[in-house]
Amino acid sequence: MTGWGSVLSGLMDGLSITLRLVAASIPLGLVLGAATALIRVYAPPPFRFAAAAYQSAIRGVPLVVQLFILYYVLPRSGLLLSPFAAAVIGFGICSGAYHSEYIRSAISSIPPGQMEAARALGMSRTTAVRAIILPQAARRAVPGCGNEVVYLVKYSSLAYLVTLVDLAGAGRLQAYASFRFFEVFLIVGLIYLVMVAVVQSGLLLLQHHWRRSTVGARR
Amino acid sequence: MSEVARFLPVLLRGVGTTLLLLVGALGTGFLLGIPVGVLHVFAPWPVRVFLRVLDLVLRGFPAIVLLFLFYFGLGSIEGIHLSSLQAAILALGLRSAAYQGQLVRGAIGMVEPGQLGAARALGMPLGKALRLIVFPQAIRFALPGLANEYSVVLKDTALAFTVGVVELMSRAKFLAASTRQLTLVYLLVAFIYWCLTQAGLLAFLTAERRTRIPGLGTGPRRPR
Repeated sequence: MTGWGSVLSGLMDGLSITLRLVAASIPLGLVLGAATALIRVYAPPPFRFAAAAYQSAIRGVPLVVQLFILYYVLPRSGLLLSPFAAAVIGFGICSGAYHSEYIRSAISSIPPGQMEAARALGMSRTTAVRAIILPQAARRAVPGCGNEVVYLVKYSSLAYLVTLVDLAGAGRLQAYASFRFFEVFLIVGLIYLVMVAVVQSGLLLLQHHWRRSTVGARR
Repeated sequence: MSEVARFLPVLLRGVGTTLLLLVGALGTGFLLGIPVGVLHVFAPWPVRVFLRVLDLVLRGFPAIVLLFLFYFGLGSIEGIHLSSLQAAILALGLRSAAYQGQLVRGAIGMVEPGQLGAARALGMPLGKALRLIVFPQAIRFALPGLANEYSVVLKDTALAFTVGVVELMSRAKFLAASTRQLTLVYLLVAFIYWCLTQAGLLAFLTAERRTRIPGLGTGPRRPR
């Protein structure tokens, strides 16, 4: 039986892994999501089809299975990933598929007249997308993508299934070490809750800031 | 190919337990979610605050932590004995009840409030007005959200193996370990989950089309 001091310090070590995982996966997910959304809206049909297939495959398969494929199956074809890399890539690929759906619908919600006007003024398609469409779409995608980031924080707890000692994994170890299962898992859950609350208030601030400074934001 | 024929029966037996978890959790969530959603809207404030706190915990904790809390946590309390299947259905079911409660609340909010006022003015008791006027419309608004919830809960059942439920994922791990055919087993499992997701989403889309009323919109669609 170990005391509360070592339980808490164990959980803090786990928390630092969780934070690093989340910090690395969020940008990866957003970049993949934006790229997929752009492909689905603007690319020629074969690419569009590939992007849709990626979305469907990821959204139809549990994240655990995706992580197992990355961590246990890929080494068989010679691609050996560290647990941390497997988790970050898995989270990034997974949340990218969900982000892309929010970003795609945000892009589609910008009236087509804006693209026509930009083209009529002599902008290239790329410039129009970058300077006219994306800045507005980004604002509209914030609520959905924000939700997705919240999901990512919670589902980062699957990292322990690929042997990482993240917050959930540390919780399991400390629960067994101290035999205080209920209390330890309650504390672990509350720490996730605090992380979720922090992300959500950050998003509210961002939305508030953007709503004040421009038109086109949507709750 | 002969391996697929050998593995498939083992995996499909796991699918049975996965579907049991899915139906148990979604059913619990639906039966509790409706009263919870109604209470979110109509209950006096202390009840609403209490529900809000419960909601925060059930939706803010990761699924896997809830599973641990219900199986290891409740199991360590004197006098409570839950099998891993019961604990998993309870954890995923209560979690789904919180999400479905929010769906129901949102759907009730989408029904024109004047309709409830008119029904009350005609002398209908609140319960009857809800049942005859609000629910038939609200359930249509909630369908896209319920489809989403189906897909989320199905994928969360794949975590039940962490508390010892022998479902699809757990059989896959066993098969993978005993045959060393990891690639085939996990790709097969991914495909089975994908089929289950698509079949459910198709069923919900059909239900939406069948119950659609021209002029009445649908609720927001989410990509989870």
